[in-house]
Amino acid sequence: MVAIALSITGVINRTRALLAGRKGIRFFQHIYNAHLLLRKGAVYSTTTTALFRIAPTVYLGSAMLALLFIPVANLEPMLSFHGDIILVAYLLALSRTAIILAAMDTGSSFEGMGAAREALYGALVEPALMMGMATLALFCGYSSFAEIFSTAQELNMNLTIVLLLVAYVFFIVMVIEAGRVPVDDPKTHLELTMIHEVMCLDYSGVDMGMIHIAGWFKNAIFATIAANAVAVAISFNWWFATPLAVLATGITIGFMESLRARNKLSRNITYILTIVAMAALVLLTGFLLIQNIEI
Amino acid sequence: MFLYTLLAAAVAVVVALFVTPLRQKVWVATGVIATAAIAAIALAVMAFSNGAITLAEFSTPLLGGESISVDKLSSLFLVIIAVASVATVLYSKGYVEGYLERFSPAHISLHYTALVMLVVSMMMVVMSSGGFSFLFAWELMTIASFILILFEAERQDVRRAALNYLVMMHIGFMFLVIGFVLLYNVTGSANFAAIEHYFKVQAPLPLFVILFIGFGMKAGLFPMHIWLPEAHPAAPSHVSAIMSGVMIKTGVYGIMRLMQAIDHNADLLYTIGLIVLLSGIVTGLWGVIFAAMQNDIKRLLAYSSIENVGVILIGLGIAAVGHAAGSNLIGMCGLCGALLHTVNHSLFKTMLFFSAGNIYSKLHTTAMNQMGGLAKHMPITAILMLFATVAICALPPLNGFVSELLIYIGMFNGVSDGHEVLYSVAGIIALSLIGGIVVLAFTKLYGVVFLGSPRSTYVAESTEVDNLRIGAMAIPAVLILFIGLLPQYAIRPITMVAEAISGSANTIALNHFAPTLEALSASCWVLIAIILLLYVLKHRLQSTATITEGPTWGCGFTALNTRMQYTGESFSEGLESIGKPLMKDTVDGRAVDKGEIFPTPHNYRIVHKDKVDSLLGQWWVKMLHHFNAWVMRLRTGRVNNYITFALAFFIVVLVLTIVGIL
Repeated sequence: MVAIALSITGVINRTRALLAGRKGIRFFQHIYNAHLLLRKGAVYSTTTTALFRIAPTVYLGSAMLALLFIPVANLEPMLSFHGDIILVAYLLALSRTAIILAAMDTGSSFEGMGAAREALYGALVEPALMMGMATLALFCGYSSFAEIFSTAQELNMNLTIVLLLVAYVFFIVMVIEAGRVPVDDPKTHLELTMIHEVMCLDYSGVDMGMIHIAGWFKNAIFATIAANAVAVAISFNWWFATPLAVLATGITIGFMESLRARNKLSRNITYILTIVAMAALVLLTGFLLIQNIEI
Repeated sequence: MFLYTLLAAAVAVVVALFVTPLRQKVWVATGVIATAAIAAIALAVMAFSNGAITLAEFSTPLLGGESISVDKLSSLFLVIIAVASVATVLYSKGYVEGYLERFSPAHISLHYTALVMLVVSMMMVVMSSGGFSFLFAWELMTIASFILILFEAERQDVRRAALNYLVMMHIGFMFLVIGFVLLYNVTGSANFAAIEHYFKVQAPLPLFVILFIGFGMKAGLFPMHIWLPEAHPAAPSHVSAIMSGVMIKTGVYGIMRLMQAIDHNADLLYTIGLIVLLSGIVTGLWGVIFAAMQNDIKRLLAYSSIENVGVILIGLGIAAVGHAAGSNLIGMCGLCGALLHTVNHSLFKTMLFFSAGNIYSKLHTTAMNQMGGLAKHMPITAILMLFATVAICALPPLNGFVSELLIYIGMFNGVSDGHEVLYSVAGIIALSLIGGIVVLAFTKLYGVVFLGSPRSTYVAESTEVDNLRIGAMAIPAVLILFIGLLPQYAIRPITMVAEAISGSANTIALNHFAPTLEALSASCWVLIAIILLLYVLKHRLQSTATITEGPTWGCGFTALNTRMQYTGESFSEGLESIGKPLMKDTVDGRAVDKGEIFPTPHNYRIVHKDKVDSLLGQWWVKMLHHFNAWVMRLRTGRVNNYITFALAFFIVVLVLTIVGIL
């Protein structure tokens, strides 16, 4: 899991560089950057309260705990219980809340802007996430990640297609949650793209490092769930799911960021709602297929 | 005998409240309420360990034999009422102190009398077996809360809101009276226990709908919720706390009693489950969308109460549908989730309203956009409020998550076992959307009020409130922590109540919950440990590095001022662009136009109101106008016409008598 978390960003960077015709930075440059950040001092705004200093630890801590619940194909997760998929979703919500409040704490209009948008997008994408998980629960009859992915073996062709679509939903959810193109652009925090990056404007040093690391973890969570859904359909082994999670996600995001422009901000809501609608459609299709099989 | 004792006690309390000196009144009220609370908790404990207790049995002239008794469902609500009312009366001391000079002693006495009356009548409501005593207690509760809302009666908006409340409550009361009279006519008893019999011999749906509307009016179901956002900002904060945290739950209590009665008829349970689930979804979504758009702290909290009632009903609805479909597990999950959420909401909502009261008593406003940076001036309130915010957003280490988790598990079980997949999915979508928007609403509330820099000069003059108020807020805080971190113990009494409602002893569900909740509790502790560890790590990493402080980075802009911060209105602007069709705005002044390159000073104030509010209000007024105009045509002013009317009346009476209707 940690390996997945660490390498996705590398793949994204490399893909983008190659597509742009550059040689690109070192594969593990982002880890080196984070390492540098962790050793640096920090500048805190005088407007902020203690909450601002605690928020990055909550942000990273909840992402770490969520990561522990995610299995990689047939590798068991560290923790698991009945209903943990809900806990994971709400842990991610906790991390989001922490960073939104921290952004509001600086009293900057830019960060307020980012916080407001993050809160709205997070709220709208939640149903898509839950429906994706409900689809998985529908197929596999359980509500913990470990059980879902370990019991789903004998599935036929139709369901495979639905599973691929579920994987796609999770992938888009990741794009939205991680603030990637076309919803947000991680490379800038100018007014055009004020969502995710802008919320951390006043962070520096260790805090910034923690936020970066938490971002990788969150990416890894969604990428692995998506890869698991694909792996269930094709080959349920960790040696298949791991590279899939890293390469498929990394390369796709790299391609998207190189080839696509960002959405106009007002289009983002439509974009997210489309994904929600699609998740609902996938769930419905899956339900109908299951009914057909049983009858 | 029981009733006479009660009456004597009531007179004694009122006299005591009116004769004691001004500053001691609060202690008399505290004494009475604490006694009642201790008695209630004792009764609840006895009912939990030994089964139902009957305190008094008597016959009423109108609706037959009734009793005052305590069973498990009553005891759960008794505990909720007891905890919240003790916290409320303790809190009220500091809050009312600011008014002691302004108001006459009689006014203060009346306020405390009404508070005691509200607490006692709520206890009576949940202990009454139904019929006359229930309706009596229900009406007493309405009147007491009406007097409480009227505390600052010199304000016009307060009088208006209180009157609005009184009218709405009596419409609901009318439905309840109709329901109970119907019940009495058919079965010869107006007790809740008779409903089961009624449903067997008569068409059940009409009675259910009538009673559901009656209870729903109190609970704030869509579209009967419109009294909440008006009444709560008008009422003093401790009153809002007890009304929102506990009183609206008596409506939920009534609905639970109804569900208890229909447990043996699967078809009916299914239909009713659908009605409850649907109204829960609509109420929850409506409440949360409006909560996120409000710019007044107490209006926001009022809408969030509506949303929480919606969540409770989603749980109840899923429970009924699951139960009807034959899955006890879904039934227990939904029911336990709904019951626990009732408890949870009473805890965090009282805390939130207390925080709002702290702010109001220092700043004399509840308009969010005048605040900002309060955390530096009221640090303890800020911490407690943050606590309640995390709890109400249903985020992991605290109690809100536990109850929503149970409801979710019920629905996910529905999906995975193939029981009522579509309804479960509808519930999942609604609940996750509600969860997401709640985060938006409460980060807005907390961020705009407590964080950032002050938007007005009042903030700089505010200080922390007295310790008693902080102590009153700590009571629910402790319980929130307990339920959040040790849910496996908190769930036990809840499952007992759920068993009593669903009528089946269900150990499977208990066995099912216990490992989940233990694992959840462990996860919460792990979460706290990880966060602490990270904080220590960060501290160590920073110990060698240089830490400096400076102003917030303004992206190169040097003339930043506090008015450029994000306001509450701008925070929810994105949601408003979606929710526009639902609301009706009242706007004072004019916003800055897009074409204005060099803006001049503007005054701008916007209140987002419900479309249903004006729809219902205007509709009534229009109907009344039409009716009046029609009646006015009869008033011709000529004596001969009036004599004709009298003659016509007699003829009608004659005809009716002949036909045999009269």
